[in-house]
Amino acid sequence: MSEADWRLQKQATGIPGLDRLTHGGLPRGQATLVLGDPGTGKTVLGLQILANAVEQGEGGLFVTFEESPAQLKRNADSFSWGGTLTESKAWSAIDARSSIGTEIAGGFDIDGLLAVITSRVKGRKDPWIVIDGIDQLLQRQPEPGAAIDQVRQINDHCERHGWTLLLSGKTGDSGLSPRYLEGIEFMLPTMVLLTARVIDRRLNRFLRVAKYRGSDHMTDEIPMVMNSRGIQLPYVTAPGEWRAKADTERVSTGIERLDKLLGGGLYRGSSLLISGRPGTAKSTLAASIAQATAERGERALLVSFDEMEAPYVRNLVSVGLELQPQIDEERIRFYSRSATGCLISEHLLELQRLIEDFRPHCLVIDPISALLKAPGSEGPRPAIEWLIDLTRKEGITAVMTALTDEGDPEGESTLGQVSTIADTWISLDYNVRAGERNRSISIVKSRGTAHSNQQRELLLSDDGVDLADVYEFGTEVLMGTARAQKQSEEQSAMRRAAMERERRRKDLERRVEQARNELSRLTTELELQEQEAKESSRIAYRHAEAVTRGRQPDAQDDEGGEG
Amino acid sequence: MNSGKQQVESTVPALTLFVTGDAPRSRRARRHLNAALKKLGQDSIKPLEIDLLEHPEQSINHSVFATPALLRARNDGEISVIYGDLSDESKLLDFLGSFND
Repeated sequence: MSEADWRLQKQATGIPGLDRLTHGGLPRGQATLVLGDPGTGKTVLGLQILANAVEQGEGGLFVTFEESPAQLKRNADSFSWGGTLTESKAWSAIDARSSIGTEIAGGFDIDGLLAVITSRVKGRKDPWIVIDGIDQLLQRQPEPGAAIDQVRQINDHCERHGWTLLLSGKTGDSGLSPRYLEGIEFMLPTMVLLTARVIDRRLNRFLRVAKYRGSDHMTDEIPMVMNSRGIQLPYVTAPGEWRAKADTERVSTGIERLDKLLGGGLYRGSSLLISGRPGTAKSTLAASIAQATAERGERALLVSFDEMEAPYVRNLVSVGLELQPQIDEERIRFYSRSATGCLISEHLLELQRLIEDFRPHCLVIDPISALLKAPGSEGPRPAIEWLIDLTRKEGITAVMTALTDEGDPEGESTLGQVSTIADTWISLDYNVRAGERNRSISIVKSRGTAHSNQQRELLLSDDGVDLADVYEFGTEVLMGTARAQKQSEEQSAMRRAAMERERRRKDLERRVEQARNELSRLTTELELQEQEAKESSRIAYRHAEAVTRGRQPDAQDDEGGEG
Repeated sequence: MNSGKQQVESTVPALTLFVTGDAPRSRRARRHLNAALKKLGQDSIKPLEIDLLEHPEQSINHSVFATPALLRARNDGEISVIYGDLSDESKLLDFLGSFND
């Protein structure tokens, strides 16, 4: 590389999450060390980057120290981009595996390897070179330090020839680098760590850009998914186009009275959480919003966890919601998933694919609480943030239902996480009074909307969902009483505090009084003392005088008189 | 490998030493190899030398990516390789041993 282009340039890997994480890709004309245990995706990462390069009309070379070229091609073929590699001549593989039983009798060089790579990529501009499983060779280097020198040699070679290179090897038992490569993290400018851990009996994969000299990058361990599309980083994938402006358009929920309560409907692209106990008509309300979307001629994607399409649709017919015609017209697409079947991050990728495919105006997830119970070490919060972020950017109105526990309709921790992010939160409940079970609806919050704070009755009938005007609830009264009680409690507490202050004030006054008395007593005592002192010094003076006089011969009488 | 057997016997020399230019390890390997052959009373054998810097594609042909490397083709067509500067004499002698198999 000439002196003029010393500046860091990046070469996109074509893996959107990785390119976003590294703000543009891996360093061009340098080596990147990829460390990970067996099965963490090192080889796939190399193949996928190469496939993307081939797709872009670039090319490269794959030097394999572990798998045979045939194994490599089979491996690549199991991914959606595999065909790009197997059918292209823009890259080639070098089988660099040692033959079985190869002995080592002294230190060795890798110049031959570099020479053959150089001859293979000659004439190719900005090639990607993957050296996969270099540890197979270098760990056999008997001279200490030789392996690390050779990794450096590879990096220097890259800089000289402008290769962008991935060098992969296994992680050591302790820490980052294997023993024979101790200190390697200081040598190479960029390092990517791949890990896989079994958490709750499921394999969780992670990718971490441990080091990227000269470049801003995210150093967090990022959940990584490996599916038929290869390596993906769901949380850092830029979902589609950004819609910068906040929509002011209102969309109807399909329930006129509810729209009125919400100040005209939901904002387009906002998120709605519907929470409630089992049987409080969450699904019905959500489906009603989907139906309204379809009736406007827009599309709604209904993702149901753990419930099948046929019974779902049938059950809604009983409350006057006929989804089937809309499903037939492809305005509503129903998608059923098993929540615990895969990791949260895998669910998200699938949701993203569905959204890209169907381009819905409204997304219903029923219930979101099931999705959040899916395994995944990162926990539900990033998933929810990601999902709401995605729908907001795409201008999709998101409707999520959440199941709550008996007696705690607004509690539950996962719900708490959703409710803080959602723009609008509707709480459904039922109220048993005088032998009747009545469904109630109340709007807990609605951002940017002057919404009603009143609880209403939710009516389900053959004609669909409707709300009844303010209903006299026993709980309302109770709430009032509780509030009054609370107020009186607060007042008595204030009274107690005032009395306590008064008591303390009096106590202090008493102590000040005591101190004053003490002061005057001590003052008197001091005066007395001073008087006494004067008195006694006067006496002493006189005595001294008398003594002096007594020593004079003519004053005998005086002395005798005094004694 | 059946067809390769004749080829081995006719064209491939018994010993091939892969080197990279004038690298110190390559020079050492040459020296160690000659000494070992002498010790075994086989100084008549002249190993073929291939410089991978000049003929890089030869490394793919012979699957040799580390240098120096000594490749031995046995009479039965079996090929074995030993890597390194051959400073480990006992390993080298083992490798060359029973040369008349």
